[in-house]
Amino acid sequence: MSTVITEPLLHHDLRGIRRSRLKSSIFRPASMSFSRQFRCHGRIFYSFKPPRKPFIVRASSFGSAAIVETFDFTDVFFRETFPLRWTETVEGRIFVRLDKEKNDQNWQLTVGCGLPGKWILHWGVSYIDDVGSEWDQPPADMRPPGSVPIKDYAIETPLEKAPSTTEGDGLYEVKISVKPDSTIAAINFVLKDEETGAWYQHKGRDFKVALIDRPHDDNNIIGGQKGFGIWPGALGQLSNILLKGEASHSKEEGTDGASSNEKQEDSCLGGFYEELPLVKQIPVHNSVCVSVRKCPTTAKNILYLETDLPGDVIVHWGVCRDDAKNWEIPVAPHPPGTTIFKRKALRTLLKQKEGAKGCSGLFTLDKDILGFLFVLRIKENTWLNSMGNDFFVPLSNSSNLVQSIKDQSETTHISEKTDGENEEVSDSVYTDGIINEIRNLVSDISSEKNRNTKTKEAQESILQEIEKLAAEAYSIFRSSMQTFLEEAVSESKAVDSPSKVSSGTGSGYEILCQGFNWESNKSGRWYKELKEKAEEVSSLGFSIIWLPPPTESVSPEGYMPKDLYNLNSRYGTIEELKDLVKKFHEVNVKVLGDVVLNHRCAQYKNQNGVWNIFGGRLNWDDRAIVADDPHFQGRGNKSSGDNFHAAPNIDHSQDFVRKDLKEWLCWLRKEIGYDGWRLDFVRGFWGGYVKDYLEASEPYFAVGEFWDSLSYSYSVMDHNQDAHRQRIIDWINATNGTAGAFDVTTKGILHSAIERREYWRLSDEKGKPPGVVGWWPSRAVTFIENHDTGSTQGHWRFPGGKEMQGYAYILTHPGTPAVFYDHVFSHYQSEIASLISLRNRNKIHCRSTVKITKAEKDVYAAIMDDKVAMKIGPGYYEPQSGSQRWSLALEGSNYKVWEAT
Amino acid sequence: MEVSVIGSSQAKAVRTDFAYRVLGFCSSRRNDVSFSRKSRIGIDRNIIRLRRSATGFTLKAVLSEQDRATPPAPALSRSHPKNGVSLYVGLPLDAVSEASTINHAKAISAGLKALKLLGVEGVELPVWWGVAEKEANGSYNFSGYLDLVKMVKKAGLKLHISLCFHASKQPKISLPEWVTQIGENDPNLYFRDRSGLLYKDCLSLAVDELPVLGGKTPMAVYKDFCENFKSSFSEFISSTITGISISLGPNGELRYPFDQGRSRKSKLPGVGEFQCYDKNMLGLLKLHAEASGNPLWGLGGPHDAPRYDQMPDSNSFFKDHGGSWETPYGDFFLKWYSQELVSHGSRLLSLASSVFGDTGVSIFGKVPLVHSWYKSRAHPSELTAGFYNTVNRDGYDSIAEVFAKNSCKVILPGMDLLDDDFPNITLSSPQSLLRQVRAACSKHGVDVSGQNSSAAVFPEGGFEQMKKNLSGPDGCCSGMLIYERMGAYFFSPEHFPSFTAFMRSISQPETDMDDLPQEQEVGANEPFLPTVSESGAHLQAA
Repeated sequence: MSTVITEPLLHHDLRGIRRSRLKSSIFRPASMSFSRQFRCHGRIFYSFKPPRKPFIVRASSFGSAAIVETFDFTDVFFRETFPLRWTETVEGRIFVRLDKEKNDQNWQLTVGCGLPGKWILHWGVSYIDDVGSEWDQPPADMRPPGSVPIKDYAIETPLEKAPSTTEGDGLYEVKISVKPDSTIAAINFVLKDEETGAWYQHKGRDFKVALIDRPHDDNNIIGGQKGFGIWPGALGQLSNILLKGEASHSKEEGTDGASSNEKQEDSCLGGFYEELPLVKQIPVHNSVCVSVRKCPTTAKNILYLETDLPGDVIVHWGVCRDDAKNWEIPVAPHPPGTTIFKRKALRTLLKQKEGAKGCSGLFTLDKDILGFLFVLRIKENTWLNSMGNDFFVPLSNSSNLVQSIKDQSETTHISEKTDGENEEVSDSVYTDGIINEIRNLVSDISSEKNRNTKTKEAQESILQEIEKLAAEAYSIFRSSMQTFLEEAVSESKAVDSPSKVSSGTGSGYEILCQGFNWESNKSGRWYKELKEKAEEVSSLGFSIIWLPPPTESVSPEGYMPKDLYNLNSRYGTIEELKDLVKKFHEVNVKVLGDVVLNHRCAQYKNQNGVWNIFGGRLNWDDRAIVADDPHFQGRGNKSSGDNFHAAPNIDHSQDFVRKDLKEWLCWLRKEIGYDGWRLDFVRGFWGGYVKDYLEASEPYFAVGEFWDSLSYSYSVMDHNQDAHRQRIIDWINATNGTAGAFDVTTKGILHSAIERREYWRLSDEKGKPPGVVGWWPSRAVTFIENHDTGSTQGHWRFPGGKEMQGYAYILTHPGTPAVFYDHVFSHYQSEIASLISLRNRNKIHCRSTVKITKAEKDVYAAIMDDKVAMKIGPGYYEPQSGSQRWSLALEGSNYKVWEAT
Repeated sequence: MEVSVIGSSQAKAVRTDFAYRVLGFCSSRRNDVSFSRKSRIGIDRNIIRLRRSATGFTLKAVLSEQDRATPPAPALSRSHPKNGVSLYVGLPLDAVSEASTINHAKAISAGLKALKLLGVEGVELPVWWGVAEKEANGSYNFSGYLDLVKMVKKAGLKLHISLCFHASKQPKISLPEWVTQIGENDPNLYFRDRSGLLYKDCLSLAVDELPVLGGKTPMAVYKDFCENFKSSFSEFISSTITGISISLGPNGELRYPFDQGRSRKSKLPGVGEFQCYDKNMLGLLKLHAEASGNPLWGLGGPHDAPRYDQMPDSNSFFKDHGGSWETPYGDFFLKWYSQELVSHGSRLLSLASSVFGDTGVSIFGKVPLVHSWYKSRAHPSELTAGFYNTVNRDGYDSIAEVFAKNSCKVILPGMDLLDDDFPNITLSSPQSLLRQVRAACSKHGVDVSGQNSSAAVFPEGGFEQMKKNLSGPDGCCSGMLIYERMGAYFFSPEHFPSFTAFMRSISQPETDMDDLPQEQEVGANEPFLPTVSESGAHLQAA
């Protein structure tokens, strides 16, 4: 910063004014927090008028030549309003009360809700002799006015605003009368908000109020019990569980001890009152308006940002100097109240507008800055961005300088006005923030020492000297530290901009571990067993683990799902699964759920004796089954992909099917905590549907299994497998790149290359890797074995004993490598760990470049990102020492890996 | 710091002094040569002033003397400023570039002045082997360092020199070119781990006395370097230069590069690996095994040790119960492995004391604080780092003994670390380890100086912890605290103010004594800096 040199002038120029301010009582000398004080400063000196009318910006003043300018919108060269959509979370409660009606034998169930909304009670009953868990519609005399029947098993009754209540104005409730002699065993319900379409349940289950005491029907009933238990088996098709925790307030009502007595005597029924916390999410629309203009005097751009978001808004921002939109921190000065976030970005708290909702901020940017990137933070963890990307404000590079220097008297006048009215923007916006912050320290110290006025002056002058020197040193160190900036940029690319994380790639540095094999279901406690290995998986360097299919399944391995909402499987219970996922999250490993969307096993036969009626919560009928598989007599449309003949294939073209599946995926994300998906048998349906599902469930990472046969001529694999990889690419493309796919092509070619000593196969006709990884590396999930190809099935086993050559290939090459469980926990572990560690160390990622340096009969060699060289095969290869020197990092049976030094 | 020493009676004199000093700087900035004499005078006066100001640090002296149950008269403690803790701030690692010029000289110059004004005693300057003897063996170029030393001297600060026979990754400072060229053809110059990974940022301790560097041993080369440094800087040694520390291994620390293969991505620190797989180490191990009658034990390191990033129990060597470390074989191996490190330390420290022993400067060596897994029985990371310190055995006793034998002092990093900064799962305990090392040192009468952990960003609460370590009940640091390290972050608004506050708090109490005749006013001070008033009260009680 060239201005640093002249800083002392400016600084002395202002000191008079500033010091007089500091002496005033505004300062809170007890605080040592600089940012806080600075913010406090900001409030005193700078506050921005809403941009309705022009307001004054004093750009900078060098000695006597002070400049005055106005920020009006006549010379704005960029102005855009970005919409902001976010959800506000409102907490309230649901209460459920069962008591005797006045002067009546009848019992009355009251369900109420303390939050405003268009609440609907969706309910049904169970009769005493019902077996199973289906709902029935209640008898007509039980239905309150305004009830609407839903199909043949439920009715919906709107909640009405309670006429008189002490609970404030937002209480809605509905009352249902129950005759004492009825055969109704329980009332089941969920609460629905018509406005948002959200369903509210308890822990993913329906609410259930028992009306008779059935000893065997224990703890899953509301009232009279502590908390809500889990209802075994799923009911209804509801999701969106927003009730949190156990019932936190549970009061017996109806009172005074008599109620418990009464309850014991009356074996049928007891009154109760339960309250449950409820969290409602309300979509909110706000906007942020950004306008930019040239500062006529300094050739800088002045960016004005204004939003109507409520509360404290922090702008998390950076600038870029090229089209790649790489975040950088601009050199100081930064606006008041700005802090540096982990060396990667700046955070500026916007100023509240006076008398109006919303806030605004002003940013001055050097002219060589090409763009301004930002996201907004409201509340602790709520971030707003521009449809998944950072907001980007392009800054014109054409300079259009307008000098408007006014005479000094006017400057003085305005600065006085600034001080007096607190309304104008002071030029201190442009002064070096550090000087001010350090000055605060001075005032702190001086006020502390005010008992000795004589020493105070001497101290202050020394501390001012320190602050000036420190600021000078800071600005020079900052501007000259190239390496520091580069690192900050690459880090912000990898870590700090969540928008760059795509479900097709994750962060780009992912390494997958397949966390099971074909036998894992045998013990019945796989989740527990795997949990013990979580730390090890993490320490080996894996960033993602793929867990087995969690749903109830006809086959023990889980790939023949029945009731999608029943997550008690041969691998363990839903609770154990949650526990496992939590454990992996603790050790910073993301978790993929294995979801089978292609097919689903029916629970009932139709009238022809064909198994095509589904049970459980998603009780679809034969319309959900594709029409072109005669085995299952589906009434849906024709399949959009290949058929899997062992079970009814789901017709994804049906809207209700897609809606239900999306809900299910979102439920899995929320309830279980899965971060993403491994999608089974995606050959069976169109990739466009997958895109739909992924956009709805927003996974961190997703990979599809598109496995079909490679091309062979007379049982010898063709060199050119372009057709095979093209089919996989086509599928990825149909998902719009939202999912990656297993690189089956690479596996197949590695087989031939290694088994037949035909390493030349590993270079395609254009000298690139011959698998999916050669064409669309960022979406290729490379692997050499999985539960189908290897394990105890061995459908297509990798050449035995040569697995490490395969791993030396996939763990050094681009793409996202996946390592099979059987190999992770085998004698290969240390070799695999070394390869992973090397990959991480050299930051090889899914888009790293590959230069194939040798592809001959008995040896294949390649160099990745000019950082890592490798060879597999018995032939000789040493990387050439050209611009970089190579040192051998790893060596094993027929493979070697070198690192550049 | 000056600010704090100014008592009312002295205020006037000091102010004049200050004004004069500013003038001196201005003059020298404009014309270095013609005003040099004048600024020299200015500096001399600064030094006088500094002595006075050093009384600002006497709190520690008072406290430590109290610890020894010999309550001195306050006046006496003030007359012995040497006993106070003096703070040194590290200069940027690349302060002198490979081309022997000063990097960002202007910033350093401004920084030095700021530090001086803050009351910092001095700065620490790393002198790199790879810079000063870059071209060829015996061809030294200290010009950049000489310029910098002059700058420091001019700023009126003391200097602690770190002689670095290791390399740095960030910023990139390599070993001398002629050494790395030899290393190209002879990888056995370097430490090697089980999987063949070489650590190229310093030479293996196994070659210390082998003529691998063009017919000379590394020890001889180090010695020549030290001798040459001594003669080049003779006019500064023991005046401006008050301390010299000698590099003992990776990052200058006495240890093996046990963590060289840890992945940076891994969130938990694994146990690290033994680094005894270069040809020479294996040779030594073989001899030792044969000598002890178990030739089969000398074929390699433990086969059942985990990998770098793994947890202690992921293989059997470090298992808490029944791990191989507790077997006779384990004991045999660990004794040998740690003894090699101790001998290496001894060789270098005795080299340093033979060269610098007659100059009056203190000689230091850095002992790392390998605190991960400290709370397990085996202390795996300490074992792989070369410290045979387990639940059964004090591994730091022999280390302290070596320092004592060579009259060297220990620099102990990690003064700012709290147990709570680390996840429980790593069984880390920097605080307990610090206590143990200190106890070992005090047993042998070895002075311990502190250093902060050189984390990229200073941990929250780190300053408080440093203060505790300096002055608390188990306060230690006999003389010096090195604070790493000057640079953009150091002067940034996030950091510099807290550093300033830290400086004030460790030097403030004296002012309170001078300025505050009444106890009430100490109380009034409380909301600002509780530790200050606490210490102040302590003093008054004495």
